[in-house]
Amino acid sequence: MYLRRLLVVAGAAPVVSAALVSLAVTAGASVGVGVQAGPVLLTSAAHPGGSYALPAVYVVNTGTQPEVVRIRIDRLSAGRGLAVPPSWIHAGPGVRLTAHQSARISLQLVVPADARTGGYLSDVVAAGSGTISEGNANLGVAAATKLEFRIAPGAAPAGLWPPVPGWLEWAAGGLLLFAIAFVGLRKSGWRIRIERTAAEPGFTDRQEGTP
Amino acid sequence: MRRNALLAFLAAGALVGLTGCGSASAPPAGSGKGTSIDVSLNVVPTVRSVTITPAKAKFGDCAGGNADLNTASTSGALGYPNGHCWLGRPKTSFPITITNTGIASYMYVNGANAVPSDTGTQWTLCNPGSKPAVACTSNNGLSPGKNQYVVQNFSPNRKLNPAGLTNAVACDPEFGLTSGCWSTFGQSQREGLLLTGPAEIGDTSTSWTVTVTWTPVP
Repeated sequence: MYLRRLLVVAGAAPVVSAALVSLAVTAGASVGVGVQAGPVLLTSAAHPGGSYALPAVYVVNTGTQPEVVRIRIDRLSAGRGLAVPPSWIHAGPGVRLTAHQSARISLQLVVPADARTGGYLSDVVAAGSGTISEGNANLGVAAATKLEFRIAPGAAPAGLWPPVPGWLEWAAGGLLLFAIAFVGLRKSGWRIRIERTAAEPGFTDRQEGTP
Repeated sequence: MRRNALLAFLAAGALVGLTGCGSASAPPAGSGKGTSIDVSLNVVPTVRSVTITPAKAKFGDCAGGNADLNTASTSGALGYPNGHCWLGRPKTSFPITITNTGIASYMYVNGANAVPSDTGTQWTLCNPGSKPAVACTSNNGLSPGKNQYVVQNFSPNRKLNPAGLTNAVACDPEFGLTSGCWSTFGQSQREGLLLTGPAEIGDTSTSWTVTVTWTPVP
């Protein structure tokens, strides 16, 4: 029995030693992360079954080491309100940031059809992958800002059309305005006529406008 | 005929547009050459952030373990059962500097499982003392049991954090001794860590990852 224990000890000792070697940290470099101080808010009420674009959240690398910043949802702040289930928030992919570089990460709120109504409060936590490490010892950073919205009773209003890109909406709007202006001009009685005559020496184009 | 009218309309529209552009950019009559000055304005931070700067240091000064079993700690190697190692030393050395680089916030801290490189059995954090988040299972709850470990932080202002770190974020008691863990812009805290190892080790991995994370919270 004693011999067996000794064998276990002999096998385990290098393991622990290696773990300690990995728990070293280096000087000079720093890791840091920041997130917008203002809360992420949905200005209008959300409805069960709806999907809403939240304002993109600002994140910044405040350290000297490059890092990937990712978003997670966690209830850290004190305050009233239901906790936001993390699965309701679809965050954009992590962003790789060099020292002091910043970016915005998109957030989408997807409310299940059976969601409870009321006020919700949680935190958007920006976690930096950048860690001060030597071997496998990590000193990590994260920063949190509040996430707040309200869910009102009633189903989310269904859209008449499927979602279209923003540029297409602008183009359609411009075309509509042009058509209205064109029809209005025709109705007003204004006429602009362009006459062309055969090219002759000293030919002239005559333009005429009549009210 | 209609085509001609359409062409005329488009031409007129273009003309009006160009005229508008011209008039918009034309300087008002009698205006002189403008001058401008650059004025810089600094504003207070609009982010909540934290930055960590470690000094050159590593876990060392290890002690504990069982010499009879040849598992006593050496200066650079953690022994067992329940060997411990220091990163820094209370009252004398605090290698980790945590700085609030954003607006005033509560400074939270958390640990995580120690992960072996072979993705085998991890060491989980436990908490000695009363009201532990996760009770330690050795020595009547005072020491980590099998595959458990304890990480305790300390600072110049305070003795060792008696409860130790947890996987969940919690107020870092080393910050803001009189106001919870409230920290203001530019406030920094120097800290060290004490790691106490398991009573028994269930994994023979040769490499482990240990993480401690600081998070400013509204």
